[in-house]
Amino acid sequence: ALLGKDLGALRDIVINANPAQPPLSLLVLHGLLCQRYRVLSTVHVHSSVSNVPPQLVSCLGPRHADSYARHMFQLGFTLIWKDVPKVQMKFSVRNMCPIEGEANVARFLFKLLAPYPSDPAAATTVDSWLDMAFFQLAEGSPKERAAVLRALNSALGRGPWLSGAEFSLADVACYCCLLQSGSTSSAPANVQQWIKSCENLGHFSPAKRLLQ
Amino acid sequence: AAEEDQQAQSKKALKKQQKEAEKAAKKAEKQAKLVCCVFYFLSSQDFAKDRYGVSVMVQSQQKLDRVLVQVQHLTPEKADQVIWLRARVHTSRAKGKQCFLVLRQQQFNVQALIAVGDRASKQMVKFAAAITKESIVDVEAVVRKVEQKIESCSQQDVELHVERIFVISQAEPRLPLQLEDAVRPDGEGEEEGRATVNQDTKLDNRVIDLRTTTSQAIFRLQSGVCQLFRDTLTNKGFVEIQTPKIISAASEGGANVFTVSYFKTSAYLAQSPQLYKQMCICADFDKVFCVGPVFRAEDSNTHRHLTEFVGLDIEMAFNYHYHEVIDSITDTMVQIFKGLRDNFQTEIQTVNKQFPSEPFKFLEPTLRLEYTEAVAMLHEAGVEMGDEEDLSTPNEKLLGRLVKEKYDTDFYVLDKYPLAVRPFYTMPDPNNPKYSNSYDMFMRGEEILSGAQRIHDAQLLTERANHHQIDLEKIKSYIDSFRYGAPPHGGGGIGLERVCMLYLGLHNVRQTSMFPRDPKRLTP
Repeated sequence: ALLGKDLGALRDIVINANPAQPPLSLLVLHGLLCQRYRVLSTVHVHSSVSNVPPQLVSCLGPRHADSYARHMFQLGFTLIWKDVPKVQMKFSVRNMCPIEGEANVARFLFKLLAPYPSDPAAATTVDSWLDMAFFQLAEGSPKERAAVLRALNSALGRGPWLSGAEFSLADVACYCCLLQSGSTSSAPANVQQWIKSCENLGHFSPAKRLLQ
Repeated sequence: AAEEDQQAQSKKALKKQQKEAEKAAKKAEKQAKLVCCVFYFLSSQDFAKDRYGVSVMVQSQQKLDRVLVQVQHLTPEKADQVIWLRARVHTSRAKGKQCFLVLRQQQFNVQALIAVGDRASKQMVKFAAAITKESIVDVEAVVRKVEQKIESCSQQDVELHVERIFVISQAEPRLPLQLEDAVRPDGEGEEEGRATVNQDTKLDNRVIDLRTTTSQAIFRLQSGVCQLFRDTLTNKGFVEIQTPKIISAASEGGANVFTVSYFKTSAYLAQSPQLYKQMCICADFDKVFCVGPVFRAEDSNTHRHLTEFVGLDIEMAFNYHYHEVIDSITDTMVQIFKGLRDNFQTEIQTVNKQFPSEPFKFLEPTLRLEYTEAVAMLHEAGVEMGDEEDLSTPNEKLLGRLVKEKYDTDFYVLDKYPLAVRPFYTMPDPNNPKYSNSYDMFMRGEEILSGAQRIHDAQLLTERANHHQIDLEKIKSYIDSFRYGAPPHGGGGIGLERVCMLYLGLHNVRQTSMFPRDPKRLTP
C-alpha cells in the first residue's frame, strides 16, 4: 500500500546521495530489504560528480545474477551518487514529492520492512531518536554529542534496544550516526554493550565496510 | 477587387523596394571604387605609401619567411613584440585621426588600432577605415597591453598597434547577412529593435553563417564527437569499415529509399549500412563500426529529419546476452559525453550564449529501463496506451520528462520493445514472444539510436520475413549470408547531427548539419 498501485512493472526507489556523505543507515536498510524482497540493486554515478571512490560504486554488493531482467524483481533500489546538498529519495514522481533528508528516507524504507509501533507515544520516541541521531550525533558539536551519548546510556539501561524490547529504526539510525561520528570507543558502558548486540545482528556490515 | 488591388500594390511596393536596394548596392560599390581611386592618387605623395595597400593576388610568386601568429596566441606574454598576422576585418570604426579594427580569426578576435603618427599617415588611416567587412588582411603590428579589459573581444588583455596593413582578399561591400545579427540570441533582437537572421537566410548563405562563433563552435564539437566515437571504439577492439552506398535492394521495405539510375537498371541509396555490417560479422570481423552518409527518402519536414545525414553505426558479435552490446554502446556514448564535458567546455559555452540550454546530464553506467516500466510510468501519468503499442512522439517526449524528473538523466536506454513494432530481423524475446531483444536510446527525450539483437539463424529469419510478408527473392542474398555459420550479434546506428543537436540542446537538426539536405533544400 505504501508503494501505491501495482502497474505490473518494477517499482524503483531512487536515492540521490552525495559521495562526500554516504548515507550509512540507508545501506543498512537496503540489506534488510534484500532479505525481505527480491530487490534489484544498482549504483550509478551522476555527471555532476567525478572520481567517486570504487568502494562507493560497489557499496550495494555484487550485481544480482538476474539483473539483466528487471521485470523479475519486486523492488528496485537505485542509488545515484550525485552532487546534492541533502539525501533525496524519488519514487512516484507524479504523485509524491521528492523526500529530503536521510532520516525521512530511512523512515520510508523501514515502513516497507516493519510497521511503525501503533502506540503513538512509542512511534514518537522512535522519531525523536532519529532526529537526535541525524542532527546532534552526526552534525552536532562534541558537547551535543556527549549529551546524546548520556541519553542513549540511560535509555539502554531500561531495555536491550532503544525503543524497548524490539530492535527498531531508532537503533539503526543511532548506530550508524555513532559509527560515522567516530565516537564508539569513548561511549559509556550500556552503549558499548548495545553496540556489540547491534553488531551481532550482522545488519551493519555494509556500513562498517564502507568506513574502513 | 479590393484584395486584388492590395496585392497589386504590395507587388509594386516589392518591386520598388528591390529597385531601391539595387540602387543602394550600386552606390556603395561606386563609392568604394571612388575611395580606392582617391587613395591611390593621394598615396603617390604619402610618406607611408609602402605600409598599406591592396596586395597583388597571391599566386605563389614568392615564399616569404614570415611567421603569422594565431590570434588566440595573442596574450600579454607577447607584449611589445612586433608580429605579423592574417585575419578578417570583423568591424572597423574610424574616429578622426585613428581607426579601430576588430580582427577575427575563427572564433577568436582582437582589437587593432591605427593612429596617425610617425608610422601611419592620414591616408593610411583612411584606407584602413575603408576596408570592407570580412576582407582578409595581413597586418604587421606591435602587441601592447591594455589597462582596461576589452570586453567585446576574445583577447581582452592586449591590442595591436598596426604598422602595416595589406588587403589580401577584398570582400564585396554588401554582405547578405551581418555576422552580429546571425549570433544574436532569439528574442534579444526584438527587444532592442535589432535584426535577427532567420534560419533559411542563414542556410542560403551558409558560407558566411559558418563563420559565426556559434557555428564555429558547433562544428568543432561535432568533429570532437566523431573523434571520440572512433577513439573509444578503436580502444575496444572495433574495426572501422567502409560500405557501399549504392545498393541493389532496399534492406527494409522500399518506401523510403532514393532510386538512382544505374546504367540500364536502377539502384538505391543506402538507408543504413545494416546489411553490410551484418555481413562483416558473418565474415569474422567480430566488432565493426562505420561512419558515413545515410539516406532517407521520407518526405518529412520536421526539426529532426534530414534526407542525408552522417550515420555512426556499430555492429558486434556477443557471447551469450545482447546486453553485452548495449553495455558497449552506452559506454561509448558516456565516453563521448565525458570527453565533450571535459574538452569542449569553451565550445559549449559559446553555443550556450546564443542558444541557452541546461547542461547535458547522464549516469554512469547508463540507466536501462524496460518497455513495460515505461508503459507503467506513462499509465501513472494518465496516458492511455496498449502494452504492445509503439511509443508516439509526444509520449516519447513525456517519458523523457518523467525519466528526467525521477533519475535526472538526459540519456537512457529503453529495452525489450514489443516484437510487433520492430523490423523482421529483430530477435524475439525467448521468455515472452510478445516482446523482443531490441532497444532504443534517448537523448533529451528524443530517439537517437534504434538497435536490436539480429536473427542469425537463416530459418528463423525466413519465418519472420514471411510473417512480415516480405518477398523472399529480394532478400535472398541477405538470408544466405547466415547459412554458413553466423555468430549471435547485435548493434545500432546513431545520427551524428541529432546527437550534436540534442547534446547542445538545440532545436533544429539543420543547425548541426553543415550543408543540410531536406525535402526542400538541395543547395548550397
